[in-house]
Amino acid sequence: MMATARPLPDVNDAVSAPFWAAAREERLAVQQCGQCSALRWQPAPICPECWTPGGAWVDLSGSGTVWSYAVYHRAMNPGFGDMVPYTVAMIELDEGIGMIGMMLTNTPDLQIGDPVRVVFEHVTPDVTVVRWERTEVAT
Amino acid sequence: MNIAGATAIAGVGNTRQGELPGRSANEIAVEAIELALREAGLSKSDVDGLITCRNVRSEIGNDEQIGLLAGLSPKYSATLWYGTGEFSLHLGVMAILSGLAETIVLCYGTNQRSSRADFGVAVGGGADMATISGLAHVAGPAALAFRRHQHLYGTTEEQLGWVSVAQREWAQLNPQAIFTKPLSIQDYLAADYLVEPLRRSDLTMISDGGAAIVLTTAERAKDLRKPPIYIQGFAEQTELRGYQRPEDLLRPWLGKVADRLWSSTGLGPKDMDLMYIQEATSVWVLQMLESYGFCKPGEAGPFVAEGHTRPGGRLPLNTNGGQLSESYMWGWLHLCEAVRQLRGECGDRQVSDPELAVNCSSHDFLKGAASVLSTRQ
Repeated sequence: MMATARPLPDVNDAVSAPFWAAAREERLAVQQCGQCSALRWQPAPICPECWTPGGAWVDLSGSGTVWSYAVYHRAMNPGFGDMVPYTVAMIELDEGIGMIGMMLTNTPDLQIGDPVRVVFEHVTPDVTVVRWERTEVAT
Repeated sequence: MNIAGATAIAGVGNTRQGELPGRSANEIAVEAIELALREAGLSKSDVDGLITCRNVRSEIGNDEQIGLLAGLSPKYSATLWYGTGEFSLHLGVMAILSGLAETIVLCYGTNQRSSRADFGVAVGGGADMATISGLAHVAGPAALAFRRHQHLYGTTEEQLGWVSVAQREWAQLNPQAIFTKPLSIQDYLAADYLVEPLRRSDLTMISDGGAAIVLTTAERAKDLRKPPIYIQGFAEQTELRGYQRPEDLLRPWLGKVADRLWSSTGLGPKDMDLMYIQEATSVWVLQMLESYGFCKPGEAGPFVAEGHTRPGGRLPLNTNGGQLSESYMWGWLHLCEAVRQLRGECGDRQVSDPELAVNCSSHDFLKGAASVLSTRQ
Protein backbone atom coordinates (compact mmCIF):
# COMPACT_ATOMS: atom_id res chain seq x y z
CA MET A 1 0.00 0.00 0.00
CA MET A 2 1.31 3.42 -0.88
CA ALA A 3 1.94 5.77 2.00
CA THR A 4 -0.48 8.68 2.23
CA ALA A 5 1.15 11.83 0.97
CA ARG A 6 1.90 14.67 3.36
CA PRO A 7 -0.56 17.53 2.71
CA LEU A 8 1.12 20.30 0.74
CA PRO A 9 -0.28 23.70 -0.19
CA ASP A 10 -1.72 24.60 -3.58
CA VAL A 11 0.96 27.14 -4.43
CA ASN A 12 -1.00 28.21 -7.52
CA ASP A 13 -4.10 29.22 -5.55
CA ALA A 14 -5.21 32.60 -6.93
CA VAL A 15 -5.28 34.35 -3.57
CA SER A 16 -2.37 32.79 -1.71
CA ALA A 17 0.13 32.23 -4.56
CA PRO A 18 2.19 35.32 -3.57
CA PHE A 19 2.61 33.91 -0.05
CA TRP A 20 4.09 30.68 -1.42
CA ALA A 21 6.18 32.53 -3.99
CA ALA A 22 7.67 34.62 -1.16
CA ALA A 23 8.29 31.49 0.90
CA ARG A 24 10.19 30.00 -2.03
CA GLU A 25 12.45 33.05 -1.78
CA GLU A 26 12.65 32.60 2.01
CA ARG A 27 10.50 35.58 2.88
CA LEU A 28 7.45 35.55 5.15
CA ALA A 29 4.90 37.86 3.56
CA VAL A 30 1.31 38.84 4.30
CA GLN A 31 -1.11 41.26 2.72
CA GLN A 32 -1.57 44.81 3.95
CA CYS A 33 -4.72 46.77 3.16
CA GLY A 34 -4.07 49.83 0.98
CA GLN A 35 -6.97 51.66 2.62
CA CYS A 36 -6.85 50.91 6.35
CA SER A 37 -3.30 49.46 6.58
CA ALA A 38 -4.48 46.34 8.45
CA LEU A 39 -2.16 43.37 8.14
CA ARG A 40 -4.13 40.40 6.86
CA TRP A 41 -3.76 36.74 7.73
CA GLN A 42 -4.99 34.43 6.17
CA PRO A 43 -4.63 35.55 2.55
CA ALA A 44 -7.93 36.91 1.21
CA PRO A 45 -9.15 38.84 -1.85
CA ILE A 46 -10.56 41.70 0.27
CA CYS A 47 -9.68 43.31 3.58
CA PRO A 48 -11.90 41.76 6.31
CA GLU A 49 -11.73 45.06 8.26
CA CYS A 50 -12.85 47.58 5.60
CA TRP A 51 -13.66 45.34 2.55
CA THR A 52 -11.20 47.11 0.26
CA PRO A 53 -10.15 44.73 -2.50
CA GLY A 54 -6.54 43.72 -3.04
CA GLY A 55 -3.69 44.77 -0.81
CA ALA A 56 0.09 44.77 -1.17
CA TRP A 57 2.28 41.90 0.00
CA VAL A 58 4.71 43.05 2.68
CA ASP A 59 7.54 41.12 4.31
CA LEU A 60 7.37 40.38 8.03
CA SER A 61 10.30 40.08 10.42
CA GLY A 62 9.80 36.33 10.64
CA SER A 63 10.24 36.36 14.39
CA GLY A 64 7.75 35.75 17.15
CA THR A 65 7.10 33.80 20.31
CA VAL A 66 5.43 30.51 21.13
CA TRP A 67 1.85 31.16 22.32
CA SER A 68 1.19 27.45 22.81
CA TYR A 69 2.23 24.14 21.31
CA ALA A 70 1.14 20.52 20.97
CA VAL A 71 3.21 17.41 20.30
CA TYR A 72 1.73 14.83 17.95
CA HIS A 73 2.77 11.38 19.13
CA ARG A 74 0.30 9.83 16.74
CA ALA A 75 -0.32 11.25 13.28
CA MET A 76 -4.05 11.95 13.33
CA ASN A 77 -3.62 12.55 9.59
CA PRO A 78 -1.69 9.59 8.10
CA GLY A 79 0.08 11.99 5.74
CA PHE A 80 2.27 12.96 8.70
CA GLY A 81 2.90 9.35 9.74
CA ASP A 82 6.65 9.41 9.11
CA MET A 83 7.11 12.73 10.92
CA VAL A 84 5.90 11.81 14.44
CA PRO A 85 6.64 12.94 17.01
CA TYR A 86 6.29 16.46 15.71
CA THR A 87 5.42 19.75 17.36
CA VAL A 88 2.83 22.24 16.12
CA ALA A 89 2.84 25.70 17.65
CA MET A 90 0.67 28.77 17.61
CA ILE A 91 3.23 31.49 16.93
CA GLU A 92 2.51 35.05 17.95
CA LEU A 93 4.46 37.09 15.42
CA ASP A 94 6.14 40.32 16.46
CA GLU A 95 3.71 42.12 14.14
CA GLY A 96 0.77 40.80 16.19
CA ILE A 97 -0.42 38.05 13.85
CA GLY A 98 -1.08 34.53 15.07
CA MET A 99 0.20 31.81 12.75
CA ILE A 100 -0.01 28.03 13.13
CA GLY A 101 3.20 26.29 12.19
CA MET A 102 5.22 23.11 12.57
CA MET A 103 8.49 23.36 14.45
CA LEU A 104 11.49 22.32 12.35
CA THR A 105 12.54 19.74 14.93
CA ASN A 106 10.69 18.19 17.81
CA THR A 107 11.77 20.31 20.77
CA PRO A 108 10.82 18.43 23.95
CA ASP A 109 11.73 21.29 26.28
CA LEU A 110 9.86 23.95 24.29
CA GLN A 111 8.19 26.53 26.52
CA ILE A 112 5.40 29.00 25.98
CA GLY A 113 7.07 32.36 25.44
CA ASP A 114 10.17 30.93 23.75
CA PRO A 115 11.33 33.16 20.89
CA VAL A 116 11.21 31.54 17.46
CA ARG A 117 12.07 32.49 13.91
CA VAL A 118 10.75 31.33 10.61
CA VAL A 119 12.64 28.73 8.58
CA PHE A 120 11.78 27.49 5.14
CA GLU A 121 11.56 23.86 4.10
CA HIS A 122 11.96 23.42 0.37
CA VAL A 123 9.85 20.30 -0.07
CA THR A 124 9.84 20.25 -3.89
CA PRO A 125 11.21 22.67 -6.50
CA ASP A 126 7.81 24.42 -6.47
CA VAL A 127 6.69 24.03 -2.88
CA THR A 128 8.33 25.63 0.13
CA VAL A 129 6.55 25.40 3.46
CA VAL A 130 6.96 27.64 6.46
CA ARG A 131 8.32 26.13 9.67
CA TRP A 132 9.76 27.51 12.91
CA GLU A 133 12.78 27.05 15.14
CA ARG A 134 13.61 28.26 18.60
CA THR A 135 16.27 30.95 18.72
CA GLU A 136 16.92 30.83 22.45
CA VAL A 137 15.33 29.52 25.61
CA ALA A 138 13.06 32.03 27.31
CA THR A 139 14.29 33.10 30.73
CA MET B 1 -40.72 37.79 21.81
CA ASN B 2 -40.92 35.91 25.09
CA ILE B 3 -39.75 32.37 24.59
CA ALA B 4 -39.74 31.33 28.26
CA GLY B 5 -41.94 28.26 28.63
CA ALA B 6 -43.59 28.75 25.22
CA THR B 7 -42.32 25.51 23.71
CA ALA B 8 -41.56 22.11 25.16
CA ILE B 9 -39.87 18.83 24.35
CA ALA B 10 -42.58 16.19 24.19
CA GLY B 11 -40.50 13.20 23.18
CA VAL B 12 -36.94 12.01 22.79
CA GLY B 13 -35.65 8.85 21.21
CA ASN B 14 -32.40 7.25 20.30
CA THR B 15 -31.36 4.12 18.48
CA ARG B 16 -28.85 1.60 19.72
CA GLN B 17 -25.41 3.20 19.84
CA GLY B 18 -22.07 1.81 18.76
CA GLU B 19 -21.69 -0.06 15.50
CA LEU B 20 -24.64 -0.38 13.15
CA PRO B 21 -23.03 -1.83 10.02
CA GLY B 22 -25.03 -2.12 6.83
CA ARG B 23 -27.42 0.72 7.64
CA SER B 24 -27.36 4.17 6.12
CA ALA B 25 -27.11 7.28 8.28
CA ASN B 26 -30.52 8.39 7.05
CA GLU B 27 -32.21 5.07 7.90
CA ILE B 28 -30.83 5.42 11.41
CA ALA B 29 -32.21 8.97 11.64
CA VAL B 30 -35.68 7.77 10.63
CA GLU B 31 -35.59 5.04 13.28
CA ALA B 32 -34.80 7.72 15.86
CA ILE B 33 -37.73 9.84 14.61
CA GLU B 34 -40.04 6.85 15.01
CA LEU B 35 -38.84 6.26 18.57
CA ALA B 36 -39.23 9.90 19.62
CA LEU B 37 -42.73 10.15 18.14
CA ARG B 38 -43.80 6.90 19.78
CA GLU B 39 -42.58 8.17 23.14
CA ALA B 40 -44.62 11.35 22.70
CA GLY B 41 -47.66 9.34 21.66
CA LEU B 42 -47.67 10.96 18.24
CA SER B 43 -47.60 9.62 14.72
CA LYS B 44 -46.16 10.72 11.43
CA SER B 45 -49.34 12.65 10.54
CA ASP B 46 -48.92 14.86 13.62
CA VAL B 47 -45.57 16.20 12.38
CA ASP B 48 -45.69 19.49 10.50
CA GLY B 49 -42.00 20.37 10.78
CA LEU B 50 -38.72 18.55 10.18
CA ILE B 51 -35.25 19.79 11.13
CA THR B 52 -32.40 17.50 10.22
CA CYS B 53 -28.68 17.65 10.85
CA ARG B 54 -26.13 16.73 8.24
CA ASN B 55 -23.36 14.33 9.21
CA VAL B 56 -20.03 15.63 10.49
CA ARG B 57 -17.88 16.48 7.45
CA SER B 58 -20.45 15.08 5.01
CA GLU B 59 -23.53 16.06 3.01
CA ILE B 60 -25.55 13.11 4.28
CA GLY B 61 -28.58 13.79 6.44
CA ASN B 62 -30.21 16.72 4.71
CA ASP B 63 -33.97 17.26 4.95
CA GLU B 64 -34.61 16.38 1.30
CA GLN B 65 -33.04 12.94 1.75
CA ILE B 66 -34.74 12.26 5.08
CA GLY B 67 -38.14 13.65 4.04
CA LEU B 68 -38.09 11.33 1.04
CA LEU B 69 -37.00 8.31 3.04
CA ALA B 70 -39.51 8.93 5.84
CA GLY B 71 -42.36 9.91 3.54
CA LEU B 72 -42.70 13.28 5.24
CA SER B 73 -43.77 16.49 3.48
CA PRO B 74 -44.27 18.83 6.44
CA LYS B 75 -45.18 22.52 6.24
CA TYR B 76 -41.64 23.42 7.18
CA SER B 77 -38.27 21.71 6.89
CA ALA B 78 -34.64 22.72 7.20
CA THR B 79 -31.18 21.25 7.65
CA LEU B 80 -28.44 22.59 9.83
CA TRP B 81 -24.83 22.18 8.85
CA TYR B 82 -23.97 22.24 12.55
CA GLY B 83 -26.91 20.66 14.34
CA THR B 84 -25.45 19.46 17.65
CA GLY B 85 -29.01 19.09 18.95
CA GLU B 86 -28.76 22.47 20.62
CA PHE B 87 -28.58 24.61 17.48
CA SER B 88 -31.35 22.46 15.98
CA LEU B 89 -33.48 23.05 19.08
CA HIS B 90 -33.10 26.82 18.71
CA LEU B 91 -34.21 26.71 15.09
CA GLY B 92 -37.17 24.56 16.07
CA VAL B 93 -38.28 27.00 18.78
CA MET B 94 -38.01 29.88 16.31
CA ALA B 95 -40.04 28.01 13.68
CA ILE B 96 -42.80 27.20 16.18
CA LEU B 97 -42.99 30.69 17.70
CA SER B 98 -43.15 32.25 14.26
CA GLY B 99 -46.04 30.01 13.27
CA LEU B 100 -44.27 28.07 10.55
CA ALA B 101 -45.02 24.79 12.28
CA GLU B 102 -46.52 23.48 15.50
CA THR B 103 -44.93 20.08 16.05
CA ILE B 104 -41.42 19.63 14.78
CA VAL B 105 -39.23 16.57 14.85
CA LEU B 106 -35.49 17.23 15.08
CA CYS B 107 -33.18 14.39 14.11
CA TYR B 108 -29.65 13.18 13.61
CA GLY B 109 -28.39 9.84 12.36
CA THR B 110 -24.91 8.69 11.50
CA ASN B 111 -22.95 5.62 10.49
CA GLN B 112 -19.65 7.47 10.83
CA ARG B 113 -18.01 4.57 12.67
CA SER B 114 -19.00 1.82 10.21
CA SER B 115 -18.27 4.05 7.24
CA ARG B 116 -14.86 5.02 8.69
CA ALA B 117 -15.43 8.76 8.44
CA ASP B 118 -12.19 10.72 8.41
CA PHE B 119 -11.80 12.98 11.45
CA GLY B 120 -8.12 13.57 10.83
CA VAL B 121 -8.72 16.88 9.12
CA ALA B 122 -8.04 20.30 10.53
CA VAL B 123 -10.99 22.16 12.01
CA GLY B 124 -12.12 25.76 12.22
CA GLY B 125 -12.08 28.71 9.89
CA GLY B 126 -9.18 29.37 7.53
CA ALA B 127 -7.62 26.03 8.26
CA ASP B 128 -5.19 25.88 5.34
CA MET B 129 -2.02 26.58 7.35
CA ALA B 130 -3.27 24.21 10.04
CA THR B 131 -3.58 21.39 7.49
CA ILE B 132 -0.13 21.97 6.07
CA SER B 133 1.40 22.22 9.54
CA GLY B 134 -0.05 18.92 10.71
CA LEU B 135 -2.59 20.41 13.13
CA ALA B 136 -4.91 17.51 12.32
CA HIS B 137 -8.05 16.56 14.27
CA VAL B 138 -9.75 18.72 16.90
CA ALA B 139 -7.24 17.22 19.36
CA GLY B 140 -4.61 19.63 17.97
CA PRO B 141 -6.25 22.97 18.71
CA ALA B 142 -7.66 21.55 21.95
CA ALA B 143 -4.13 20.58 23.03
CA LEU B 144 -2.92 24.10 22.21
CA ALA B 145 -5.78 25.56 24.25
CA PHE B 146 -5.15 23.27 27.22
CA ARG B 147 -1.41 23.94 27.31
CA ARG B 148 -2.15 27.65 27.29
CA HIS B 149 -4.61 27.13 30.15
CA GLN B 150 -1.87 25.29 32.04
CA HIS B 151 0.53 28.16 31.40
CA LEU B 152 -1.94 30.84 32.53
CA TYR B 153 -3.43 29.09 35.55
CA GLY B 154 -1.22 26.15 36.52
CA THR B 155 -3.87 23.61 35.49
CA THR B 156 -2.46 20.07 35.61
CA GLU B 157 -2.96 17.03 33.41
CA GLU B 158 -4.30 15.21 36.45
CA GLN B 159 -6.96 17.86 36.92
CA LEU B 160 -7.96 17.54 33.26
CA GLY B 161 -8.03 13.77 33.71
CA TRP B 162 -10.80 14.09 36.26
CA VAL B 163 -13.15 15.21 33.47
CA SER B 164 -12.78 11.83 31.75
CA VAL B 165 -12.75 9.87 35.01
CA ALA B 166 -15.96 11.52 36.26
CA GLN B 167 -17.74 10.95 32.96
CA ARG B 168 -16.68 7.31 32.93
CA GLU B 169 -18.21 6.92 36.38
CA TRP B 170 -21.49 8.29 35.06
CA ALA B 171 -21.26 6.02 31.99
CA GLN B 172 -20.96 2.98 34.24
CA LEU B 173 -24.46 3.82 35.50
CA ASN B 174 -25.83 4.16 31.95
CA PRO B 175 -26.87 0.89 30.26
CA GLN B 176 -26.45 2.32 26.76
CA ALA B 177 -22.96 3.74 27.28
CA ILE B 178 -20.27 2.29 25.02
CA PHE B 179 -17.19 2.83 27.21
CA THR B 180 -17.87 1.44 30.67
CA LYS B 181 -14.53 -0.10 31.61
CA PRO B 182 -13.37 1.40 34.92
CA LEU B 183 -11.03 4.36 34.44
CA SER B 184 -9.10 5.59 37.47
CA ILE B 185 -7.02 8.74 37.49
CA GLN B 186 -3.96 6.45 37.63
CA ASP B 187 -5.17 4.64 34.50
CA TYR B 188 -5.68 8.00 32.83
CA LEU B 189 -2.20 9.29 33.66
CA ALA B 190 -0.54 5.98 32.68
CA ALA B 191 -1.96 6.13 29.14
CA ASP B 192 0.16 7.34 26.22
CA TYR B 193 -0.29 10.77 24.76
CA LEU B 194 -1.98 11.08 21.40
CA VAL B 195 -1.50 14.81 20.97
CA GLU B 196 0.42 15.87 24.06
CA PRO B 197 -0.82 16.97 26.54
CA LEU B 198 -3.99 15.07 25.54
CA ARG B 199 -4.60 11.32 25.76
CA ARG B 200 -7.15 9.01 24.17
CA SER B 201 -9.56 9.47 27.08
CA ASP B 202 -9.66 13.22 26.43
CA LEU B 203 -11.15 12.77 22.97
CA THR B 204 -14.61 11.85 21.79
CA MET B 205 -15.11 8.35 20.49
CA ILE B 206 -16.57 7.73 17.03
CA SER B 207 -19.82 5.79 16.97
CA ASP B 208 -22.92 5.05 14.91
CA GLY B 209 -26.40 5.88 16.07
CA GLY B 210 -29.33 8.24 15.86
CA ALA B 211 -31.31 10.56 18.09
CA ALA B 212 -34.46 12.60 17.67
CA ILE B 213 -36.49 15.12 19.63
CA VAL B 214 -40.14 16.12 19.31
CA LEU B 215 -40.67 19.80 19.96
CA THR B 216 -44.08 21.45 20.16
CA THR B 217 -45.99 24.27 21.81
CA ALA B 218 -46.36 24.18 25.58
CA GLU B 219 -50.14 23.85 25.19
CA ARG B 220 -49.90 20.85 22.87
CA ALA B 221 -47.20 19.20 25.00
CA LYS B 222 -49.45 19.24 28.07
CA ASP B 223 -51.88 16.87 26.33
CA LEU B 224 -49.23 14.32 25.35
CA ARG B 225 -47.91 11.20 27.08
CA LYS B 226 -44.78 12.53 28.75
CA PRO B 227 -44.39 15.44 31.14
CA PRO B 228 -43.32 18.45 29.05
CA ILE B 229 -39.79 19.73 29.42
CA TYR B 230 -39.91 23.44 28.72
CA ILE B 231 -37.36 25.63 26.98
CA GLN B 232 -36.81 28.59 29.30
CA GLY B 233 -34.36 30.50 27.15
CA PHE B 234 -31.46 30.24 24.79
CA ALA B 235 -28.51 32.18 23.42
CA GLU B 236 -25.87 31.93 20.72
CA GLN B 237 -22.63 33.59 19.70
CA THR B 238 -20.39 33.12 16.68
CA GLU B 239 -16.69 33.60 16.09
CA LEU B 240 -16.73 33.13 12.35
CA ARG B 241 -13.36 34.77 11.92
CA GLY B 242 -11.85 31.56 13.21
CA TYR B 243 -8.92 30.84 15.44
CA GLN B 244 -6.01 32.50 13.74
CA ARG B 245 -5.93 35.01 16.56
CA PRO B 246 -4.19 33.08 19.33
CA GLU B 247 -6.59 33.98 22.13
CA ASP B 248 -9.53 32.56 20.18
CA LEU B 249 -8.22 29.07 20.86
CA LEU B 250 -9.54 29.63 24.39
CA ARG B 251 -12.93 30.53 22.91
CA PRO B 252 -13.53 33.54 25.18
CA TRP B 253 -16.65 34.37 23.16
CA LEU B 254 -18.45 31.45 24.85
CA GLY B 255 -18.83 33.83 27.76
CA LYS B 256 -21.15 35.96 25.64
CA VAL B 257 -23.49 32.98 25.17
CA ALA B 258 -23.55 32.55 28.93
CA ASP B 259 -24.11 36.24 29.70
CA ARG B 260 -27.12 36.37 27.40
CA LEU B 261 -28.51 33.06 28.57
CA TRP B 262 -28.39 34.08 32.22
CA SER B 263 -29.64 37.63 31.65
CA SER B 264 -32.52 36.55 29.40
CA THR B 265 -33.71 33.81 31.75
CA GLY B 266 -33.01 35.59 35.04
CA LEU B 267 -31.27 32.40 36.11
CA GLY B 268 -27.65 31.63 36.87
CA PRO B 269 -25.19 28.80 37.49
CA LYS B 270 -26.36 28.37 41.10
CA ASP B 271 -29.88 27.58 39.91
CA MET B 272 -28.83 24.68 37.69
CA ASP B 273 -29.40 21.14 38.94
CA LEU B 274 -27.72 19.57 35.90
CA MET B 275 -25.15 20.67 33.35
CA TYR B 276 -24.46 19.23 29.92
CA ILE B 277 -21.45 20.12 27.81
CA GLN B 278 -21.06 18.78 24.31
CA GLU B 279 -17.42 17.81 24.42
CA ALA B 280 -15.32 16.98 21.39
CA THR B 281 -12.53 16.92 23.95
CA SER B 282 -12.34 17.11 27.74
CA VAL B 283 -10.80 20.57 27.32
CA TRP B 284 -14.19 21.91 26.30
CA VAL B 285 -15.55 20.96 29.72
CA LEU B 286 -12.97 23.13 31.49
CA GLN B 287 -13.60 26.00 29.07
CA MET B 288 -17.36 25.91 29.51
CA LEU B 289 -17.36 25.50 33.29
CA GLU B 290 -15.47 28.78 33.36
CA SER B 291 -17.29 30.62 30.57
CA TYR B 292 -20.72 29.75 31.94
CA GLY B 293 -19.71 30.98 35.37
CA PHE B 294 -19.65 27.70 37.29
CA CYS B 295 -16.09 28.57 38.29
CA LYS B 296 -13.88 31.62 37.96
CA PRO B 297 -11.42 31.77 35.04
CA GLY B 298 -8.60 29.33 35.73
CA GLU B 299 -10.42 27.41 38.45
CA ALA B 300 -12.07 24.66 36.40
CA GLY B 301 -9.10 22.30 36.88
CA PRO B 302 -9.29 22.26 40.68
CA PHE B 303 -13.11 22.25 40.44
CA VAL B 304 -13.29 18.97 38.54
CA ALA B 305 -10.42 17.45 40.56
CA GLU B 306 -12.42 18.13 43.73
CA GLY B 307 -15.06 15.79 42.33
CA HIS B 308 -17.99 18.18 42.00
CA THR B 309 -19.01 16.79 38.60
CA ARG B 310 -18.86 13.10 39.62
CA PRO B 311 -21.91 11.04 40.62
CA GLY B 312 -22.97 12.44 43.99
CA GLY B 313 -21.21 15.76 43.38
CA ARG B 314 -22.92 19.10 43.61
CA LEU B 315 -22.86 19.76 39.85
CA PRO B 316 -23.89 16.59 38.01
CA LEU B 317 -22.29 17.08 34.60
CA ASN B 318 -22.75 14.92 31.49
CA THR B 319 -24.65 12.34 33.50
CA ASN B 320 -24.90 10.12 30.41
CA GLY B 321 -21.12 9.82 30.24
CA GLY B 322 -20.96 12.28 27.37
CA GLN B 323 -19.11 11.77 24.14
CA LEU B 324 -16.04 10.62 26.02
CA SER B 325 -17.84 7.54 27.36
CA GLU B 326 -21.48 7.16 26.30
CA SER B 327 -21.53 7.72 22.54
CA TYR B 328 -20.62 10.35 19.98
CA MET B 329 -23.92 11.83 18.85
CA TRP B 330 -22.59 15.37 18.29
CA GLY B 331 -24.40 16.64 21.40
CA TRP B 332 -27.78 15.09 20.66
CA LEU B 333 -27.65 12.55 23.47
CA HIS B 334 -26.74 15.28 25.95
CA LEU B 335 -30.07 16.91 25.19
CA CYS B 336 -31.92 13.57 25.39
CA GLU B 337 -30.26 12.86 28.73
CA ALA B 338 -31.18 16.29 30.12
CA VAL B 339 -34.83 15.60 29.24
CA ARG B 340 -34.76 12.11 30.77
CA GLN B 341 -33.11 13.35 33.96
CA LEU B 342 -35.64 16.17 34.32
CA ARG B 343 -38.43 13.60 33.94
CA GLY B 344 -36.80 11.36 36.55
CA GLU B 345 -36.27 8.39 34.22
CA CYS B 346 -32.57 7.72 34.66
CA GLY B 347 -32.48 4.77 37.06
CA ASP B 348 -29.17 4.28 38.87
CA ARG B 349 -27.79 7.59 37.68
CA GLN B 350 -30.92 9.63 38.40
CA VAL B 351 -30.17 12.91 40.14
CA SER B 352 -32.57 13.78 42.96
CA ASP B 353 -35.57 15.85 41.74
CA PRO B 354 -33.84 18.13 39.24
CA GLU B 355 -35.86 21.07 37.92
CA LEU B 356 -33.39 22.98 35.75
CA ALA B 357 -30.67 21.92 33.32
CA VAL B 358 -28.32 23.88 31.10
CA ASN B 359 -27.12 22.38 27.82
CA CYS B 360 -23.98 23.99 26.36
CA SER B 361 -22.94 23.27 22.83
CA SER B 362 -20.39 24.53 20.36
CA HIS B 363 -19.42 24.04 16.78
CA ASP B 364 -15.63 23.84 16.70
CA PHE B 365 -14.14 27.31 17.01
CA LEU B 366 -17.00 28.93 15.15
CA LYS B 367 -20.22 29.00 17.17
CA GLY B 368 -21.63 28.47 20.62
CA ALA B 369 -25.21 27.83 21.77
CA ALA B 370 -26.90 27.02 25.05
CA SER B 371 -30.36 26.69 26.55
CA VAL B 372 -32.02 26.19 29.90
CA LEU B 373 -34.54 23.36 30.14
CA SER B 374 -37.04 23.12 32.97
CA THR B 375 -39.74 20.93 34.45
CA ARG B 376 -41.94 23.95 35.23
CA GLN B 377 -43.39 26.29 32.65
